[in-house]
Amino acid sequence: MAETPTAQQMLDQEMIARVGRRDQSAFSALYDRLSGPLYSLAMKMLGDPAEAQDALQDVFLQIWSRAGSYDPEQSSVFSWTVLLTRSRVIDRLRARGRRSRVVVASTEDTPAAAADASTVESAADTVEKNDEAARVRYVLTNLPSEQRETIELAFFEDLSHHEIAARLGQPLGTVKARIRRGLLKLRERLNTL
Amino acid sequence: MISEEQQDQAALYALGLLGADEDAAFESELRANAELRDLVRELREAAGGLALAAPSLLPPASLKERVMGEIAMETERVVQMPTRRASFGWVPWAIAAALAVFCGLLALDRVRLERQLADIRAADPLMQTTFYTLAPSAPAPADAKATVAWQPGRQSGVIRISNLPAPQSGKDYQLWAVDAEHKDPISAGVVRVDKNGIAQIRFKPVEKAEHVKAFAISLEREGGVSKKEGPILLVGST
Repeated sequence: MAETPTAQQMLDQEMIARVGRRDQSAFSALYDRLSGPLYSLAMKMLGDPAEAQDALQDVFLQIWSRAGSYDPEQSSVFSWTVLLTRSRVIDRLRARGRRSRVVVASTEDTPAAAADASTVESAADTVEKNDEAARVRYVLTNLPSEQRETIELAFFEDLSHHEIAARLGQPLGTVKARIRRGLLKLRERLNTL
Repeated sequence: MISEEQQDQAALYALGLLGADEDAAFESELRANAELRDLVRELREAAGGLALAAPSLLPPASLKERVMGEIAMETERVVQMPTRRASFGWVPWAIAAALAVFCGLLALDRVRLERQLADIRAADPLMQTTFYTLAPSAPAPADAKATVAWQPGRQSGVIRISNLPAPQSGKDYQLWAVDAEHKDPISAGVVRVDKNGIAQIRFKPVEKAEHVKAFAISLEREGGVSKKEGPILLVGST
């Protein structure tokens, strides 16, 4: 049975419905809420502020044009936009053949590690978001290291399970099992925290 | 009951790691299995949450302006195209071509204007600029347009007008700021277009306008008036 949406998820759904009706003020509010995490993801994967900004612009234009087709049965608005962002970033990485530029930072990275000093969020403004991020980092850090490493390679580096198996020198079945177990644990622990 | 193999596939699917063929096969399985759909949704949520593990950054404020500018332009195109089709349905291809060229010119205008403003911003990076897109209302030509870039901190702005023919003798166009704190629109001066119906002018309202909801252009007596009298030709908000 699917989880009951949280208050934030319901608010996001209301906003995306308004965006689907071409409401620019709702779009502006949604931008304010999501641009930080989505930009952070794009930066982590691309490692280049200009490219990350271009990718983010594409993502938000896509959100604007596709909001009407968003399906709450498939995913929350946040996850939908994260996966859209990841997909746009991967398009860019593939088009430019620049996987080698990606550096997967460990989950112990400090927030400012890869940041342009002018764009790092002020702590006072982002306590709530950082709480959520801290929860994810905590859960991720406490996964078995081989599961964490495999999930990070799959999510942030756009490596297929075949490529991950080759890089880690592990059988394909082992890699699939690590991804499954890691993601299931992540889901379970995020739900219980 | 979901098998371990299905769970493997669900995890790979949630992370976008399946190939096109595997994706299609798994989606067909999903359609028939509600429990599996629930699992995929939850795994997607877990995958989405991974984004929060990235070091926290914010994009520069200028990116939001770029994005909002793009969607404002797109909205204008969507609003205008059906009108044009309805009025000139017997020449659809000519209208489509004209609109394409027109939109291209508008895009160029906007880029030029934004470049000009980028220079201003460079001098004061904290300054905020708001864009207003003005659409025509009767009796203005249907393809008349204007874009206002307004800097509340400086109480000044730039307006770019296109496709607005020069007014008849004895008349002038006048720009107005519609401010929430003022009963009447605030004059921002007379604007004069060239023979091609184009103008790009810096302006400053005659009174302080801190809560501008919209800008409008009206047709007034030559030299302008202190309080709006004539018909509104172009009006628009953010």
